[in-house]
Amino acid sequence: MANHQAKDFGDLEIGDELGPEHILVSKDLTRLFVRVAHMDSPRFTDDEAARAEGLPGAILPGNMSLSLLTKLVTDWIGSSGARLARIGTTYRSPVISGSSVTMQGFVTHTDAAERTAEVDIWIENEDAERLVIGTATVHFPLKK
Amino acid sequence: MAVQYDPALIGRVFEETEPVPVTAEQIKAFCRAIDETNPLFTDEAAASAGANGGLVAPPSFAVTFRNGRDFFKHVPRFGTRGFDAGKDVEFVAPIRPGDKIRLASHVKEIYEKTGRSGSMVFVVIRSTLSNQNDEVVAHIDHRFMSRT
Repeated sequence: MANHQAKDFGDLEIGDELGPEHILVSKDLTRLFVRVAHMDSPRFTDDEAARAEGLPGAILPGNMSLSLLTKLVTDWIGSSGARLARIGTTYRSPVISGSSVTMQGFVTHTDAAERTAEVDIWIENEDAERLVIGTATVHFPLKK
Repeated sequence: MAVQYDPALIGRVFEETEPVPVTAEQIKAFCRAIDETNPLFTDEAAASAGANGGLVAPPSFAVTFRNGRDFFKHVPRFGTRGFDAGKDVEFVAPIRPGDKIRLASHVKEIYEKTGRSGSMVFVVIRSTLSNQNDEVVAHIDHRFMSRT
């Protein structure tokens, strides 16, 4: 789980952190994702096939990276009652299946009128290279 | 030179898929695949007491619904083979076990950018996911990039 969780909207501050969350994206986990997400390209499961495409080895589907970043945000939301409204991702470099990666982020903007928080999020490898970057919008409804 | 394309491409729905049923088992398998342990997505009893009033799928479950077999035939091509440059997903409503989800896709926009490595064309395909009650549950913008 995340080390940090969202507070009430009024207590949010620019720079509040999401994560970090560490995960070994094992080849078994990748295969499971590929199966449940119906993504049957061998570039995700077969190192040789991936190398034939010029990749360094089997890689994570972009949808899996997006899903891991979505989880980072929903873990941060926790039981606060907030709702993930939008996420956007840009795939800068492949995430290698079987590698250890870290997801993290921070709050970049809040909008009191809309009761939303904008966050920057990313996945980095063990060399601190940001492989996938993104942004998300979280909406904090008024408490009843 | 500005990228050339037929403006009639923009906004025309080129594909609608058949409804795909969602099962609790599929949601559980998806949770295992992303190491999801949040009880709102994994525990029926805990989820029933939460804001959604029952078990729902993690938001990114939306990306598991596949476009039709001919999807890529409708993605306009410019220069090199396009690759997946990123996605934007707007989550409108939760997806629940028992839902039947269908996708309708259209070309949302085509634009050109020039960077240090040269000129690139981006094609954005929007897939709108709707449930059996014709409620939109998500919009997914797929961003494909080609080098010209």
